[in-house]
Amino acid sequence: MKWALIAGGSKGLGFSIAQALAKRKNNLLLIARNEQDLLTSKEQLQSQYNIQVSILACDLSLPESAALIADHCTAGSLEINILCNAAGLGGAKDFPHLSFNELRTMISTNLESAVSLCFLLEPLLKQSAPSYILNIGSMAGFAPIPVKAVYASTKSALLFFSYSLRNLLKPAHISVTCACPGPIFTKPSIEEETVHQLGWFGKKMALKPDDAGELIVRAMLNGKMIVVPGKLAKIVSFFLRIFPNGFVARLQYILKKK
Amino acid sequence: MLSIILLVYMNASAQPVPAGQADSLRPYALVAGGSKGIGYGISEALAKRGYNLILIARHLDTLQKAKTKLEEEFHIHVDVLVMDLAYDSSATAIAKWCLERNIRLKVLCNVAGLGGANDYLSLPLDSLRYMVRLNVESCMALSLTLMPLLEKNAPSYILNVASMAGFAPIPIKNMYSATKSAVVFFSYSLRYQLKDKHISVSCLCPGPVYTKPSIVKDTKEKLGWFGNQMALDPQTVGEVAVKKTFKKKLIIVPGTLAKISSSLIRFFPRRWVTNLYGSAGDKSKKKTKTST
Repeated sequence: MKWALIAGGSKGLGFSIAQALAKRKNNLLLIARNEQDLLTSKEQLQSQYNIQVSILACDLSLPESAALIADHCTAGSLEINILCNAAGLGGAKDFPHLSFNELRTMISTNLESAVSLCFLLEPLLKQSAPSYILNIGSMAGFAPIPVKAVYASTKSALLFFSYSLRNLLKPAHISVTCACPGPIFTKPSIEEETVHQLGWFGKKMALKPDDAGELIVRAMLNGKMIVVPGKLAKIVSFFLRIFPNGFVARLQYILKKK
Repeated sequence: MLSIILLVYMNASAQPVPAGQADSLRPYALVAGGSKGIGYGISEALAKRGYNLILIARHLDTLQKAKTKLEEEFHIHVDVLVMDLAYDSSATAIAKWCLERNIRLKVLCNVAGLGGANDYLSLPLDSLRYMVRLNVESCMALSLTLMPLLEKNAPSYILNVASMAGFAPIPIKNMYSATKSAVVFFSYSLRYQLKDKHISVSCLCPGPVYTKPSIVKDTKEKLGWFGNQMALDPQTVGEVAVKKTFKKKLIIVPGTLAKISSSLIRFFPRRWVTNLYGSAGDKSKKKTKTST
């Protein structure tokens, strides 16, 4: 049986993706910071689905983590054919109200860790081709969001990276997908923030993590490049993509002033 | 660590601005990556307009050369700081340096950047990480740490240097184009965040700029005649960038041909452009293979 590696797979959208993959009989290697969360997820997945779950606790924002993970996979000679980069940091705190360290952590978790894992695990993925890389971007990667300046920038970079990577890894039969979901209610604080910022419409657009995970995994296995789960989110992102970036940014500024 | 040592060294050797001299009353512009290439072009254009300069780069010799040349030609005061902007400590150290001297900072230019003909598949991971640090992080960090000073001296200006590669993904320059898209996005957001503080944010997105022979070669190989026609020299790019920055333009693309190409790139679906870039990259790879 082949293995799927999920960075940030213990909670939230990452866990839902893990479930969707477990349902499809993939063994799972979950990576996250908190060992307790990992153990809970492991137990739940193993008892519910008849698969093997292995866990590795490490902080993906640290530069040495990617090499550690790659070594772990090579040492265990795991046949990995799915890599999912779901670890990400967002939240209400963003430029200019964040500290220098918070800025660094956000960039290294959202962008650097995904780049490093793709880079170091590529040989393994190539061996067990056809394989899949799934990067979790965000709708914020389609157009700049002034209140989430750093977050949107890192997600845009991840989207660009995924586009290029798909082109580069096509000959090796590795399919690259970038999921760009709208709001997903993974924890109460996100629900609160979404309702506060986008109101009724945001609530309508939001998805449950389980639904989003299922849709994203299905699209990934179908070899899609971009997946935006949810109908309303799809419509919104269509407009975000066709309107000029400057227009979208200005519109948000005007709306916020009111 | 190294940057701290260098900073201490530079602090000892940096000359204080002589009080009472006319040039100490002039406004200052800080150019990160200002010793060579586009950064130097921008420094010249700012010097021409009577700005004192703070140039930051990794090598003291190129900085000194730039300092001498600019001071002689434009009769301004130039401070130089030797620092690797990819280090964590640099942005904080630079801000401290400026605050201690109570610099009348009016312009911040984030020019320092790393790119190359190919990246993702031919560079080691450390270089890719360095690219993220230098191209994205240093720009965000300097904007963050110098914001109080810019706010104090408002109306002021931030000029981030991205690239046309930030408009659509280029497979063989995977990391470069991803980091530059982050700079473009950041600039858009920052402009509206700082609008009420009277800090204007601009983003320079040039096409090919002939700053060194290897870029001339690479451009001709990949984009052929068209690339050569589109290319500009760093002086022109610097002049246009500074002029438009003071006019508070958000996205600056110097050159008519580059402007046309970039609007097409931005208009067409990303997937098309990516594939187009991808096939251009394959062609040039084949060419170099047959020639070697």
